[in-house]
Amino acid sequence: MAGVKIKYTKTERAKQKKILKVSQRMLPLFEAMEKSLMATVNAITERIDEIRQVIDANTQKAKPWLAVMSDAYVDVNAFIKVNKVNTKAVDVAGVRVQQYESVDFHVMPIDDDTPLWVDDAIELMQEQLQLLAEIKCLEEQIVLLEEELLDVRARVKLFENRRIPNAKMAIRKIGQKLQDDERLTIATAKVVKTGKQEEVLV
Amino acid sequence: MSNLVYLMCSLPALTFGQNPTITLDEFNKDAKSQLSTKHFKKLEAADIRKSDSNGTKSGLKSIDELLDDVRQDCSEIRNAKAQSRTPNLNRLPKAVLGANPLEREKMIMQLQWDELESAGANETFTFTEVVVYKLKLQILNRLHSFDEERGAQVLASVVNPAKKEEA
Repeated sequence: MAGVKIKYTKTERAKQKKILKVSQRMLPLFEAMEKSLMATVNAITERIDEIRQVIDANTQKAKPWLAVMSDAYVDVNAFIKVNKVNTKAVDVAGVRVQQYESVDFHVMPIDDDTPLWVDDAIELMQEQLQLLAEIKCLEEQIVLLEEELLDVRARVKLFENRRIPNAKMAIRKIGQKLQDDERLTIATAKVVKTGKQEEVLV
Repeated sequence: MSNLVYLMCSLPALTFGQNPTITLDEFNKDAKSQLSTKHFKKLEAADIRKSDSNGTKSGLKSIDELLDDVRQDCSEIRNAKAQSRTPNLNRLPKAVLGANPLEREKMIMQLQWDELESAGANETFTFTEVVVYKLKLQILNRLHSFDEERGAQVLASVVNPAKKEEA
């Protein structure tokens, strides 16, 4: 409020009352939005943890045979590549985000000379790559949701600390000023009236 | 003949599962210096990784048959898996079906090794013995390349390329 000049008029008081009313109505909405965004971010973080656990479990399950992947005669890197991660746009807690759908792989044809373990390795890699792609999508969702959360928090603070207190103070000050002006007018009128009565008596 | 004897006598003995004490390059270098060009070319073509698809037969009937059979069995396992049926194996033991990929590869290599031992049993100081030696050395090299830590790195490099860069 500091630095803002208040117009001490009834119109200004009406304007400030309107601002106060709107602000008090909006604040709970932004608070609810903040809670919803926080809950969604927490839920996504939990989902990411779950997926990471599945990835770890898959790796642990494959651990007894991982040694075969260093086969000097096979470059397993050449067998599989991610072509595209398919996503769809959805609204999560009022924010437009991309939701993971599937992964398109380019898998090199396997000839009969290729060792059998390559089939198992490709299966494992596909599963892990799909899970990692889902994690990436979820992390991107968190980034967008946190940006929105920051924005909503800033609004909540603005309403709580600036708009509502400022409007309340402005209404109070304008009220006092208008009351003072009214008293002054009445007092002046009384003085004038008394003066005129005395002149008549003289 | 004398060169073959010299070559075979100079080579270290090979045992399944051991770390090869001679590299393939060293073997090829020795073989090149001791064998005739014709024999060396024939030796170069012998490769445990390929059967008859690329015309790189070992030149030894029993070994070629073995490699073909293993190749066909691997193909049968793949087809059976795709068609959700039990594979009909010709040469490989049924145990390979229940084994994990590492154990399966080891079983296949053990089978190849045993067959090579049989093929080279009565072939002392012959060209067949040299070919068998090369193929056994290839099996040992491959077996020796299996390493859990490096395997995990290979998986990480495909699944998470960022980890590869960090390494």
